Amino acid sequence: MYIRMVIDLELSVEMKNKLEKSVTTKKEDRKTSIMQTALKLFSSEGFYSTTMPAIAKKVGMSVGNFYNYFSSKDELAKEIMLYISSVLGEQLREINMSDKSVREKIDMIVKMYFLIAQERPELIEYFLRIFLSNREVFTKACTGMVCVSDFVTELMLFFDDGVQKGVLKDQDFFSALGLFMGYLGGMVFLNGEEVLPQPLCDYESAIAENIYNALRKQ
Amino acid sequence: MTIRKWIEQIEGEASVRFEFENNRISFATIAFPHTRGMEAILQSKPAMDALVITPRVCGICGHSHLFSAVRAIESVYTNCGTPLEISQKAEIIRELTLTLELIQNHLKWLYMVIYPELSHLLHHPIADSCRLKGAYAASLATKALAIFAGQWPHSSYMIPGGVTCDPTHVDVIRAEGFLDELIRWFEKELIGITLDEYICFSSKKSFLKVSGDMEKIENMLKKANMHEQGFSYDRYIAMGEHKFSKPSKLVHRRMAKVHSKLVSVEEAYSIDEKTYAKNALYHNEYFETGPLARTMIEGVPFIKQIYKNYRDSTYTRVMARSYEVALLLEHSKKLLQSINLNEPSYIQPLKKIATLSGEGIGIVEAPRGSLIHSVILKNGIIEQYKLITPTQWNLSCGSPQIPGPAQKAMIGADSIETATFTFRAFDVCSVCTTH
Amino acid sequence: MKSRPKLLWLQGVTCNGNTHSFLNYPYLSYILETFEFLYHPLLPATYTLQEIASCTQSCDILIFEGAYDPRMMRAGTCMETLLQYYGSTANTIIALGSCASFGGMFKQSDPEYITGLGFDRDISKGPFAQSSKLINLSGCPIHPEWLGYTLRMIAANKVILLDEMNRPQELYSYLAHHGCTRNEYFEWKVDAENFGRKEGCLFYKQGCRGPMTHASCNKILWNDVSSKTRVGSPCFGCTEPDFPRVNMFETKTNMSIPQDVPLGISKRSYLTLTGIAKSFHIPRLEKRLIDDNT
Repeated sequence: MYIRMVIDLELSVEMKNKLEKSVTTKKEDRKTSIMQTALKLFSSEGFYSTTMPAIAKKVGMSVGNFYNYFSSKDELAKEIMLYISSVLGEQLREINMSDKSVREKIDMIVKMYFLIAQERPELIEYFLRIFLSNREVFTKACTGMVCVSDFVTELMLFFDDGVQKGVLKDQDFFSALGLFMGYLGGMVFLNGEEVLPQPLCDYESAIAENIYNALRKQ
Repeated sequence: MTIRKWIEQIEGEASVRFEFENNRISFATIAFPHTRGMEAILQSKPAMDALVITPRVCGICGHSHLFSAVRAIESVYTNCGTPLEISQKAEIIRELTLTLELIQNHLKWLYMVIYPELSHLLHHPIADSCRLKGAYAASLATKALAIFAGQWPHSSYMIPGGVTCDPTHVDVIRAEGFLDELIRWFEKELIGITLDEYICFSSKKSFLKVSGDMEKIENMLKKANMHEQGFSYDRYIAMGEHKFSKPSKLVHRRMAKVHSKLVSVEEAYSIDEKTYAKNALYHNEYFETGPLARTMIEGVPFIKQIYKNYRDSTYTRVMARSYEVALLLEHSKKLLQSINLNEPSYIQPLKKIATLSGEGIGIVEAPRGSLIHSVILKNGIIEQYKLITPTQWNLSCGSPQIPGPAQKAMIGADSIETATFTFRAFDVCSVCTTH
Repeated sequence: MKSRPKLLWLQGVTCNGNTHSFLNYPYLSYILETFEFLYHPLLPATYTLQEIASCTQSCDILIFEGAYDPRMMRAGTCMETLLQYYGSTANTIIALGSCASFGGMFKQSDPEYITGLGFDRDISKGPFAQSSKLINLSGCPIHPEWLGYTLRMIAANKVILLDEMNRPQELYSYLAHHGCTRNEYFEWKVDAENFGRKEGCLFYKQGCRGPMTHASCNKILWNDVSSKTRVGSPCFGCTEPDFPRVNMFETKTNMSIPQDVPLGISKRSYLTLTGIAKSFHIPRLEKRLIDDNT
């Protein structure tokens, strides 16, 4: 209420925007930290075994207050997927908007994906082991590509640009998507199962080369 | 003595060089001074693009070009051993929109060219509003056409496999409304009797029942002695296959089959002026094509009667084209009533057009006569595209020894004005002739 | 008696499509009463083309149909001379149709020499490039109401707001997409699986340029009854400088992603929205509109 009063004063538009943003950002930040905690719990304890009260306790919130942020586990599950998609999407967007060549961008995408898999493993693990493997949780709120839209849109823009530049072969989108993301996801999965002899980053250049050779225009 | 005349308002212009002997026209050389190179434009284009490009050969008969192009591509499918299935519904709709284009063409020609020119010849000019009647009537026909084709001019709604439209009874009824309105107009303004009565005429005397503009026009034709000139070869050809026209030729009352293999194109005869038109011949002979040819071949009783007395004079030619409007109005009505909306509009070809290689020919009866499109495709791309338009047949410019149909018709005319009228009776389309 | 504005209708490299489209105008009597046609290819006019070619008359409005080839001769005078002369006498010059506006179909007849009156495709070029007198009525052909509107605005001394390609904004600010009966299919990304059906949007596979084309075709219907898209034909973008394109019945895609997206909308925004819309299955929109099995 105090903040509202301040905003209603004769402040400059810029100041008003900054203040409004910081108010909403605070709530968003809280949501994000809840999701981070939930992700860690899902990773260590498993998705089905982790309860909402358990997450609330770990975050240090009352259960009642917790439900103000996420009204159900299904909703939390969906929001987490949207969050992961936006994290990856933002990284991919920066790569798309750089003026590097298509080949270099492939390198950058592989590197980015493996880096996240290394430093924030719970994000990609969630996508592979929870989102893709428990569709029944997500069927209502996450039909089709709704919850992965940020990331997929950036991939589409990458492919579109690659074909327009004459570097990548024109083909059906899903064939190309499957090759690119199936490959990366598969490697991260194997890494998670501790099957790979070398650390993930050691495979980056070979993988990027394979992807480039498979997708490029002959 | 030679006099050069620049003839305008023929979908462009033509330059005619008249030669006189004993105060009569002894010969005329016809030159069409413009071309756009449509055949070159079509080369190397994907086959489907021909459906957008060819209607732009002509603003008044572009729909006929569309139909010819579609038939040409479908013919390639047939020649490759994979003939397309076209539903009856699609065939009927295609023929319907074609006949409506013929109707609008003839009405414009009659009211905006023939009627004013005749009146001018006889020194009693008609009001401008009279010319506009033709435009109004033509717009009713094109409204009915646009219900199925989306727009006129320049629709591309016919595609290999059928048509793009998916009409309901609402659409058919709207089209019937416009057609009905047009028929009422025709009965009231042009003939003064019912359409049913008019299309049943079997003798010249029946015409005495006619009042309205057609009566005035027929009177003027006689007054201007158009029944005593304009005689041509009395050789007729119609090559397009439709419900209203069977491919045939008629030479001195002998009917015979026709084959596109016997059609040829030649350089036009010219003396001192460049012409971009080429002559069209059937088995090395000049033939007349168009409404007179079609009605003679179909054996329409009224036209046969007129022919009996006046052979292929300018009078007969004008009467035939005007009468064809009535026949086509009746035909359009029947076609509309026969559409079965339950059939599919389009049946997708099994073979992809990008894999199509081969030759094909599409022939259609356009307003002025037979229109031929021939195409050679290689993997769906046009390697060669050739057009032969009706005006090329009628306006072939031959030598003094063997003149073309219109040239022959003009020989013996007593003045340039009379000869020009005879010329216009062929309903000339400059843009089509030279494409 | 008030003297009527003098209208001269000349043709360049043309098919006469615009002439015949205009003959469908319902109020031709009004036009003939309000204007004096010095010359027209079919309507009653004061002079013949030969008389006009002698360059002794002057006109108030010059209408030019067809692409511009300076060397082309009509009745013994070349187009460059005719346009220079009559263009200078006129207060308004109307480039009628896409050929006259941008080169259109017949620029292809001789690409080196042939252009529109003020544009060569989308580049400012031609005898009236940058001229404040020039109004472009692009379209292949034009809709009769577009010319009717322009002439009547001129007769009433009203200012016609033009866009950056000299086209009247009141006509060309709309997109051919506005008013298409298949709009709902566009909204929910339901593709037309094939031709010949009234269901489905023609944008994704059949090459429809409606969302990228400035035209009033689905607002002021053709022949007062319909439009291309309403009868299942894709819009070919004929009012735009790049008409005619190639492969006009197909949508150009790069990995299934449309190369061109609706005007003014970023590809990122478009793909985001499309991705989401495509995720939903709206049973009503996936069925036939008229179900005769009830």
